[in-house]
Amino acid sequence: MKLTRREAFALAAGVATATSLTGCNPLANRAYALTSEPITPPTAEDDLHVAVLNRFGFGPSTHSLAVIRDQGVDEWFKNQLQPNESEPDHLKFRLERLEINHLGPWDLRDWPMEAIIAQLQQATILKAVYSDWQLRERMADFWSNHFNIFSKKGLSAYRRPHDDREVIRKHVLGKFPEMLMASAKSTAMLIYLDQQNSNAAHPNENYARELLELHSLGVDGGYTQADVMEVARCFTGWSEERGFLKKKGAFLFRADLHDSKEKKVLGEVIPAGGGVEDGERVVSIVARHPSTAKHISRKLCTYFLGNPTQGVQERVASEFLATEGDIPSIMKIIFEEFKSTRTKVVKRPLDFLVSSLRALDAATDAGDPVRKSLEAMGQPLNLWPMPDGFPVDTAAWTSSLLARWNFASEVASNGLKGTTIDAKKLTSELPSDQGLQAIFRISNSAPSIQSLASATPKRELTDQIALAIASPEFQWR
Amino acid sequence: MAIKDNWTYCDGDGRLDQPKRQTMNRRQLFAGVASLVAGGVWWAGAKSALAQATLRSDRRNGNVFISVFLRGGADALNVVTPYGEDSYYKFRPSLAIAKPKAAKADPEKLADLDGFFGLNPAMLSLLPEFREGRMAVIHAVGSHDSTHSHFQAMSTMELGLKNETGRVSGGWLARHLNASGSTGTPLRAVAFSSTMPDSLSGTTGALAISELADYRLQREDADWMSDLRALYARGNDEMVAAGRETLEVLAMLNEFDPRGYKPEPSAKYPDSQLGKAFREAAFLIKQDVGLEVCCLDSTGWDSHVTQGSTSGWLTELLADLANSIKAFQNDLGNEMNRVTICVQSEFGRRVAENSGLGTDHGAGGCMLVLGGGVNGGIVYADWPGLIPDKLSGPGDLPVTTDYRDVLAEIALKRLGTPSVKEIFPGLKHSPLGLIQA
Repeated sequence: MKLTRREAFALAAGVATATSLTGCNPLANRAYALTSEPITPPTAEDDLHVAVLNRFGFGPSTHSLAVIRDQGVDEWFKNQLQPNESEPDHLKFRLERLEINHLGPWDLRDWPMEAIIAQLQQATILKAVYSDWQLRERMADFWSNHFNIFSKKGLSAYRRPHDDREVIRKHVLGKFPEMLMASAKSTAMLIYLDQQNSNAAHPNENYARELLELHSLGVDGGYTQADVMEVARCFTGWSEERGFLKKKGAFLFRADLHDSKEKKVLGEVIPAGGGVEDGERVVSIVARHPSTAKHISRKLCTYFLGNPTQGVQERVASEFLATEGDIPSIMKIIFEEFKSTRTKVVKRPLDFLVSSLRALDAATDAGDPVRKSLEAMGQPLNLWPMPDGFPVDTAAWTSSLLARWNFASEVASNGLKGTTIDAKKLTSELPSDQGLQAIFRISNSAPSIQSLASATPKRELTDQIALAIASPEFQWR
Repeated sequence: MAIKDNWTYCDGDGRLDQPKRQTMNRRQLFAGVASLVAGGVWWAGAKSALAQATLRSDRRNGNVFISVFLRGGADALNVVTPYGEDSYYKFRPSLAIAKPKAAKADPEKLADLDGFFGLNPAMLSLLPEFREGRMAVIHAVGSHDSTHSHFQAMSTMELGLKNETGRVSGGWLARHLNASGSTGTPLRAVAFSSTMPDSLSGTTGALAISELADYRLQREDADWMSDLRALYARGNDEMVAAGRETLEVLAMLNEFDPRGYKPEPSAKYPDSQLGKAFREAAFLIKQDVGLEVCCLDSTGWDSHVTQGSTSGWLTELLADLANSIKAFQNDLGNEMNRVTICVQSEFGRRVAENSGLGTDHGAGGCMLVLGGGVNGGIVYADWPGLIPDKLSGPGDLPVTTDYRDVLAEIALKRLGTPSVKEIFPGLKHSPLGLIQA
C-alpha cells in the first residue's frame, strides 16, 4: 500500500506532529497478538540465554528465547553476525507505513520536521522490539550514537533517514573505514557539523574536529590543532545539492569552494591540486590509524562489557588493525570475553523501554505514547544535541527512574494507547510468581533476582508485572 | 524531560521549522554556525540533587534568584524603546511604537520611563514597578557573540562566557552553586523546564521539572508507593540509591502538595508556560524549601515576521511576561524583598525592520531586574545611538554593557557568591550600581 507523495501529503496535512497512516497499526497489533504464545517455564540454561539477549540484543522475547534455546548461544551469535533483509511480516507492514522509508529528503520537506523525527524514533523502537536481527539493532544503537546527529540542526532531520539506512545500518556489521567514509559524505552529518558551507577562504573546523576527536582518533589520539585546521581545509567543498530540479540533499563536492593547495595531515603530505580525494584521503588515513583502533575498541568494549580489562581492549584493537576495522571479527572477541566475565551494564531508557515491551510480547505501534515515555525518561532519539551521543555512564541516567516507574505502571495496565499486552495468556503456563518470571525470563531462584523475588509483595498479576519492570534489578542488563 | 520542541527557529533555508508560519527571511548567513553545545545536559545534576534529599526542618529565608530567559532573541528596541532617537522611527516605519504623549497610559503609545526611553504598552502592568523604583532596565547589553546563532548565543550566556570562543565547564549558575557550598536541600535550584538549562548544567544541586504538579507517580495508590519503597529498600547500587532519593522527593512534594496551591487572590497568573512556572516558583518560595535559584523560560521570541507594534503576537508575549511577573509579585507580597528577578534574552534584534515586517537576529538587547534591593527607576545604558555608522555587524545595536556585569553584581550583592572570578572567568567586573550595597 505504497502511497504517492501527493496522496501521502494530503493525508499528512491534517496531522500536526505525529505520523500519518497510523490507522493501519491496530491491524498489525491484532495480527501480532494472534501469533503470540504463552511463556514456557525457564530452564537452567536460560540464565545464559537471557544474559546474551540482554547484552547483544534488547532482551528476551518469547520468540527470541525459543530461537536461542534451539540454536545455542554460539550458533545464535554467529547467525546474528550475518543479518539479511528478512523481517517479520507485521514489522515490514508497520515500517512500510512510514514515509521516511520511501521518500527522499527533497520529498520529505513537505512534512514538518517534528513528523520526520517522530517517524525516525518510531522506526528505531519498532525494529528494536520486533526485528529478529537483535545484534544488528544493538549495533545500530551503538553506531548511531557514535555518529550522533542532532536532528533539529538545520535541515538534518530530512537527511537523517537516508543516513540511518546508508551510513549506519548498511555498515553496522561491516568495515569501519567504509562506515566512516559514508558518514563523511552524509549530508545529515555535514549539516549538523556545519560542513556544507565551508570554503577555502573560511574553512569551518567543526566537522574536522569531531571527525578526529569523536569519530576516529579519539581526544587523546595524537592530533594537534594544526591537524584540525589542515583537515578542515581538505574538506572544504564537501557540501550538498541544493540546485533547482536537482536531487536536493544529496552529497555534492563543490570544487569552487575547495582549497586545492597543499596540506599536511598527521605528518602526511596531501599534494596540491586535489579535489574530493583530499577529504577521502583524510578519511582513509584516520580510519586505519592505531589511535582509531584503540579508541573504537575502548568504546565498543565499554558498551558491551561495562568495565573491560586492558587485555581485551588490546586484543580488540589489534584485531581492528589486522582486519582493517572488520566489525564482526571484533565482535567475536567481545562475545567470547562476555561469556567469561559479566559486569552489569545500566539500561539506557531505550534499552529499558524496549526490553519491557519484548518481555511482555507487547503488540505496539511505538506511537506517540511510547515515544513520549522515552522522551520523559530523557532519551528522545535523534535529539541528543551534542556530537558525542547519549551517555553510557550510570550516573547520567539515575534521574530517569520516576519516568521509568510511570511507564511500568502504564504498560502493565494497558494504559498506553497503541500498545497492548495479554498478561493472562502470556503467563498461563507459568506455575508461580508469574509476573516476575514473565519480565525476567529466568528462574526466581537465579542469583540475580532471588532477593527481588522474596522482597516483592504478593499482588495481582498486572501489579507483579509493573513492579518487576520498576524494580532496581530490571534497570540493568 | 523533553527536548525544547516548542521553539521556533529559522532553519537556514528561509523557512521556519514549524509548518504554518512562512517567513520571508532569506538570509542563510548564520545557519552554518549554530552551536553544538545547545540544549545541554538535562540529566546532569539531578541525581546529585536527589542525593541530598532530606525532609528539611531548618528553614532558611534566604535570597532567591529568578532567571527568566526569553528564548529566541527578544526585540529589545520594542521592549524598552529609545523614542528619543529619530532614527528609530526611520529604521522601523511600520514597527515603531508612537512616542508617549502624556503621563497617562495609552495602549497605543509608549509609556515614558525617563524622557528618552519608553516601555512597550503591553507591559503597562510593570510601569509602577519602574516608576516606584523597584525595576531597573539595562540597555544595549549582551554578550560579544558574533555568530547570531540562537544556540551559540544562548549557550554563551548560560555558560557565562564573553563570546562563543570561550571554554568553561558547566553553567554560570552551576558554578555559583558549587562555589557557595551545599545546603542539603534537594530543591535548591529548580529549572521549570523540560530540559536542564545550560546555566545549571554541571552542579550537584539542580532539578529540571516541567511542572511540579507533574513530578509524581502516575499511579497514586498507597500500595504502589510502598511496594516501590520495599523494592528499593534493598541494596546500594547507584540506581537503588537514586530510587530511594526519588521516593523522598516525591514524598516531600506530596507533603507540600503543589497541586493544592492557592495563590493570593490578587495574583492573576496568566495561563501560560511562564505564568505557571512563576506560580510554582512562588509556591516553593513560600514553602521555604531552601530554594536559591530558579530558571524560567519564555519561548517564541524569534520575531522574523509580522511581529506587530502595539498588537500581534509579540505584544502577547510581552503582556504574558509582564503579567506573570506582576502576579508573582502580588503573590509574594513582602517575601519579594528576598527575591531578585532578572529577565534576559540571547540577543536583541536588528535595528532596521526587514521586508517581512519583522526583525532579524541582532546583538545588543535589554535586561530587566526587579526585586528587593534594586536601584530601580533607571535605564542603565551606555547608549551608543542608532546612527548607521555606530551600528555593529549587519546593522545591530552595539553591545556596550557586558551582560556578565549585571549578573555578577546580583550574584555578589544578593546571592553572596564567594567570587566573581569563579563564576565568570576572565571578567573584569565593573558594577553598574543597580543593586544597593
